[in-house]
Amino acid sequence: MGEQNQKRRIILHVDMNCFYASVECAFDPSLQGKPLAIAGDVEDRRGIVVTCSYEAREFGIKPPMPLWEAKRLCRHLLVKKPDFQKYKAMSARMFQLLREYTDLVEPVSIDEGYMELTYVKADPLFIAYDIQRRLKDELGLPSSIGVAPNKFLAKMASDMKKPMGITILRKRDIPKILWPLEVGEMHGIGKKTEHKLNEYDIFTIGDLAKEDSYAMKQRFGVNGVKMWERANGIDERKVDPDSANDYQSIGHSTTLKEDTVSQTMLSAVFSRLAESVERRLRQKQVVSSAIQIVIRYANRHTITRSKKLENPIQEKEKIYENAWQLFKKHWNGEPIRLLGVTALDLVERDSAYIQLDLFHYHEEKRREDLTKALDAIRKKYGDKAIQKGNNKKCKE
Amino acid sequence: MKFKINRNQLIQGVQGVMKAISSRTTIPILTGVKMTVDSGGMTLTGSDSDISIERFIPAEENGEINLEVQTPGSIILQARYFSEIVKKLPDETVEIEVGERFETQMRSGASEFSLIGLDPEEYPRLPQVEEQNVFSIQGDLLKMMIRQTVFAVSTSETRPILTGVNWSLEDGQLTCVATDSHRLAQRTVKINSNATELSFRNVVIPGKSLNELSKIVEDSEELVQIVVTNNQILFKTKNTLFFSRLLDGNFPDTSKLLPGDSKTTLVLGTKELLQAIDRASLLAREGRNNVVKLVTLNENELEISSNSPEIGKVFEHVAITSMVGEELKISFNAKYMMEALKAMDCSEIKILFTGAMRPFLIEPQSGDSIKQLILPVRTY
Repeated sequence: MGEQNQKRRIILHVDMNCFYASVECAFDPSLQGKPLAIAGDVEDRRGIVVTCSYEAREFGIKPPMPLWEAKRLCRHLLVKKPDFQKYKAMSARMFQLLREYTDLVEPVSIDEGYMELTYVKADPLFIAYDIQRRLKDELGLPSSIGVAPNKFLAKMASDMKKPMGITILRKRDIPKILWPLEVGEMHGIGKKTEHKLNEYDIFTIGDLAKEDSYAMKQRFGVNGVKMWERANGIDERKVDPDSANDYQSIGHSTTLKEDTVSQTMLSAVFSRLAESVERRLRQKQVVSSAIQIVIRYANRHTITRSKKLENPIQEKEKIYENAWQLFKKHWNGEPIRLLGVTALDLVERDSAYIQLDLFHYHEEKRREDLTKALDAIRKKYGDKAIQKGNNKKCKE
Repeated sequence: MKFKINRNQLIQGVQGVMKAISSRTTIPILTGVKMTVDSGGMTLTGSDSDISIERFIPAEENGEINLEVQTPGSIILQARYFSEIVKKLPDETVEIEVGERFETQMRSGASEFSLIGLDPEEYPRLPQVEEQNVFSIQGDLLKMMIRQTVFAVSTSETRPILTGVNWSLEDGQLTCVATDSHRLAQRTVKINSNATELSFRNVVIPGKSLNELSKIVEDSEELVQIVVTNNQILFKTKNTLFFSRLLDGNFPDTSKLLPGDSKTTLVLGTKELLQAIDRASLLAREGRNNVVKLVTLNENELEISSNSPEIGKVFEHVAITSMVGEELKISFNAKYMMEALKAMDCSEIKILFTGAMRPFLIEPQSGDSIKQLILPVRTY
């Protein structure tokens, strides 16, 4: 069998500890060693702790906790608003540092990523210590690193010792280290899945590993097989440096200031969300061929609904229109706590096409001429030189 | 009721009406097949309330005895079970006997089935069709007309009227039009009818009905009689009646949508273009409207190409018979083009373009009995 000949894979998962808070501390050393929380709008109900330092965690504060609750737990809690520009810049420096060891670095989010060291000659453990030390010395950021034969085990390993941990997880360690853990601790298993697994008397990762893979497929589909494989330490996923470039979806959601059934308010929220989605679609220069909405009711019950579109879209008006249609179709009339809009099936704008319609192609032609004219003006005088007027005012 | 029937005749009859019977119906009795026998023969009925099919098996045909009736009567049996049983019975004849409470015995060779039947009085009445507007078409021509138009009906329920094919008859000419608003297929046929004064408009037949009808009509010169009423259409062949509901609403007036002029006209081989598009579409992704591009090169050649950034590119030159007018670059959905070309039953076609952002028309090189209209795509 080919397996014998295959090189044994070595994967690192580098996970920054409380990234936003750590970045703030790195920029302002006076914050170091103090309970610090990064939170959204401070005076608002939406003020939610996004992340917090380990000192703050000692008081029982953990994200995503409302700010007022965190302040009750720790009166002298320092609070800072998030500064994403700063975090992005720091994230870029961090990944730059990781790429000094290998090109095979796959960013997963702003503060974590995988590295494939299979083809690197140096001792992986030595590299792990070197990376951790340099991240701390050069950027002032603490991290945890997992070393394992695949992505899943590396991710599980990096979670085991925080902060500043380095954990090796070998296949032979799985029964001793992984299997006693509760199944909810497994990366990729959320509350809902955990609950479902419990219904089948699966409580620990070991229980899951010892299940029959066929039975898992029957109960949970393809995902069931994946869970079963992971529990047995099997994960063939490659470290893909480009994966972060395929934007699968762009979404925004917001918790409302108060639970509401007011259609005027909900519609306004959808407009704002559509605007945010449009902005990011434009930034990434992609268009979307499917729209999804999230509705969370006051009782936390959450549903997502989506629809495919005949033609790709980017404009906020169309995002809003489709989101609102979906909402009207699926809303049960109960008070709402949170709304979200996500653009799915993204395609680069330049390679997207629109199928013309027999009954409306005349209008398309006119719009095309207009867009061409606008683009020409912008090209000559800059992006802000000309804007379309407010749609509502223009309506005849 | 008691009778003996030739099993092959019964199999054919049951299969004929099964096409109208759906296991998913809101009216439970419609999962059954209705049988009525009298001295003349046997009538089988199946329906899903949109389509109804009635099939007659004569007692005697061409000197052959198909069935012997002892006592006439009527019964409804579960279609799914009945059709499977009939197919597998051992002997050449089947004897069927129905008791007072609709319990039904089926005997064939050494095999005997008892089935629970239902009261035939419960079965909905078939539409009453007044035979005023009657005309007829050869079976093979009817099948062809359906094949050339029905693929273009809409599958989306946003405009239900577009899920049907619009039939109209005027001055002895029958016109069938289907469009899903991205392409349009139109076929016209001269009707050899003594009823030249007969005319109708906006008779919209569900695409699904036509697909089923097409399976039943034989590919022969035998005439199919067609009866049109306000809300039903009836197709009559020798031993089969096929009823379909018509769609409510007004089909859009498509006559003005067909471009009259042309800026670029190409004449070329149907098969050559179809095969080139088929190859190019291998790299065109479904998710991105399956786009291929056509560029005129000179009077003898055009280029078909497709490009998927993450898969690859394809270019192909296709020889053309002639080109008149302006040069042209146009992109369109390969699937629409292939379906249109497959519907053209001629070796050479003429394509009339009026611009890269406007619909283009495909016609036979000579004549205009078939028109296929396709809307191009534009870049975002």
